[in-house]
Amino acid sequence: MKVRYLAAALLAAMLAVAASTASGSTSRTHATKIVVWLQNDAQNGWPEMVAIANRTFKAQHPDVDVDVQYQSWGTHLTKFDAALAGGDAPDVIEMGNTEMTKYMAAGAFKALSQSAFPNNRTWLQGLKGSCQYNGKLYGVPYYAGARAVIYRTDQYKAAGIKGTPKSLSQWIADNKKLLKKYGSDKGYSAVYFPGKYWYFAMSVVYDYGGQIAVRKGGKWKGTLDQPKALAGLNQVKTLFSQSAASKTTDEANPQQALVFAKGKVGSFVGNGWEWPYALDTKVGNPALDGKMGAFPMPSHTKGKFMPTFLGGSDLGVPVTTKNQSLAVDWIKAFTSTAAEREVAKAGNIANTTTLLAFNASNPKLAPFARAAKYSWFVPTSPNWANVENANVLQNMLVKIATGRASVKAAAKSASSQITRILNTGA
Amino acid sequence: MASVAEGGYIPAARRRRFSRRRAGQAAAPYVLLAPAAAVIGLVLAYPLYLLVKMSFEKYGLFELIRHKGRWIGTANYASILHDSTFWHVVLRTVLFTAVCVTLTMVLGTAIALLLLQLSTWVRVALTTGLVLVWAVPVIVAVNIWRWMVDYQFGVANWTLTKLHVGDFTRHDWFANPWAGFGVFTALIVWGAIPFVTITVYAALAQVPQELLEAAAIDGARPWAVFREVTVPLLKPIFVILTSLSIIWDFQVFQQIWVMLDSRPSSDYYTMAIYAFHQSFQISEYGLGAAIAVVMVVIMFGATLMYLRQMLRTGEVY
Repeated sequence: MKVRYLAAALLAAMLAVAASTASGSTSRTHATKIVVWLQNDAQNGWPEMVAIANRTFKAQHPDVDVDVQYQSWGTHLTKFDAALAGGDAPDVIEMGNTEMTKYMAAGAFKALSQSAFPNNRTWLQGLKGSCQYNGKLYGVPYYAGARAVIYRTDQYKAAGIKGTPKSLSQWIADNKKLLKKYGSDKGYSAVYFPGKYWYFAMSVVYDYGGQIAVRKGGKWKGTLDQPKALAGLNQVKTLFSQSAASKTTDEANPQQALVFAKGKVGSFVGNGWEWPYALDTKVGNPALDGKMGAFPMPSHTKGKFMPTFLGGSDLGVPVTTKNQSLAVDWIKAFTSTAAEREVAKAGNIANTTTLLAFNASNPKLAPFARAAKYSWFVPTSPNWANVENANVLQNMLVKIATGRASVKAAAKSASSQITRILNTGA
Repeated sequence: MASVAEGGYIPAARRRRFSRRRAGQAAAPYVLLAPAAAVIGLVLAYPLYLLVKMSFEKYGLFELIRHKGRWIGTANYASILHDSTFWHVVLRTVLFTAVCVTLTMVLGTAIALLLLQLSTWVRVALTTGLVLVWAVPVIVAVNIWRWMVDYQFGVANWTLTKLHVGDFTRHDWFANPWAGFGVFTALIVWGAIPFVTITVYAALAQVPQELLEAAAIDGARPWAVFREVTVPLLKPIFVILTSLSIIWDFQVFQQIWVMLDSRPSSDYYTMAIYAFHQSFQISEYGLGAAIAVVMVVIMFGATLMYLRQMLRTGEVY
């Protein structure tokens, strides 16, 4: 009997909840709150930037609260899709620059007026490009990141390596010296390179003149199976062999900077913010301060750098919002010069070229700013995000790293998959 | 039947009143069922209807934002049925389910039989252990297993190396999909055994002792007693447990998803993951829905077969 009462009570409670949520969504006349989705990088790396934006916004709109909800890269698009379908998407959302095109093409964002935003004439060109679709602006550049080699100066010295490598072959030779010195420990990585780390792997491919895909006559074609790309992938395989990292995980699981902090890593390819992260007092190892350095990834052509992936984030205003002007005001506060300086301080590249001097003046940021001058970007197709989400490049790299397929076979299969996905619906 | 015959002797006026009451009585079960039926209709039938509808539509991100799909007939089904990846995934899922269910049932029953032979305190200890396993939420269990088979710090690699099984330092359990699925099979069977063991143990307690004794007196060996007496008596239980296990194992998702950082490579796709991948990662919700519908149909077929068999066994007793 008790069970039945309980069931009845539960049912009543469920109905009550359903009724209250139903009424909650209809009685929205005056906005008292805006919802912002940021990636958790801001939460861990530059919380002060968020605080500055919220303070500025609150001063303009004392009766509106800002609810910043932190997301993770792995799941935020799934959540965003569900929120769009349910009609309760956030008012502002941070998107990766490679994710923008798919959503702009589908009409997920409101068009914005460029002149409304701070520093809009000096935005980083690469980021601005990722915010435009068919000549309209659908996003505001937030920050960019360039990767460089972060290394242990003390280990390099102990292994008898003088200076930093000037070419890829010299870097590989230096890695051999490191392995000679420290390689008796099977857990030691001369370069930490997990099997799914495609941003690094594709830098090598682009350095050899390879490309992921090219567009010809309105059709995309995957080109990883072309000779130049294969030359790059063969070097990737060599670099995998100098790493003790798992062949089936990526650079964020576990966080490579924290693996580096444990001491058994000679170098890794990381973003500017990963340097201070490795020294973090809670999760990193502050004792490494003074034993770390960075240099841009050396190219196979002596004296040049490899192109780095110009990763970055933009801010969009979903079409479902009812608070567009509030959303725009918050973005303005968030991308002000004062706020952007915080993201640069944390090791990134701010959204405006006027702050580049700030990076160049800091020895811990300068190598990354230099690396950013040569960059590559993913094919600009609305379907590109699907290539990322289908893990095509990751699967190819895992096959190469584990030796389950030859470089050529793995590249061929990935290439045809990329061709198919990019041309879907075209 | 008898009540209808009696009705003939009752005067018309009374009969009407009586039949009205009878109608009320006849309706009562339906009235009582109505809330449950309404809830089931709301939370099950309506979403199922939407799923089937979506499987006949072009439903991508564009349509999602506008809340309106475009009818394209059976194109989604044609596309998955001609997709070799899909058939690989189906085959993988069926094989994986078969292995998991077989191992679960055999080991679960074996442990239940073992429980009968044990002294009280060992039995209590073992049952407690089983219940604890059962009580661990799936996500927690997966994370514990994930630490155990961790590439760098996992206790599995450490133990196997210490036992001189081989050099398992930095052994990657998921580099080879066979080894990876071995881990998942172990994880799922481990999680499923307690339910099977405890249910079978309870059922074994219901087997009349006389039958077993009589068989033994007739000279049957223990294995023959088990096969000829115990199994037929427990058949309804076995059928229910097997069909439930099939349903659970066929739709395995979280274990693989969480263990592989929400980005399993295509070697690890089961039907549930493939449907999720098509829907939420590729934003082809129509295709994802079609895969889900195929999954529902396969499951329905399997359940139907077992339900029929169950009804037949029901008639014998």
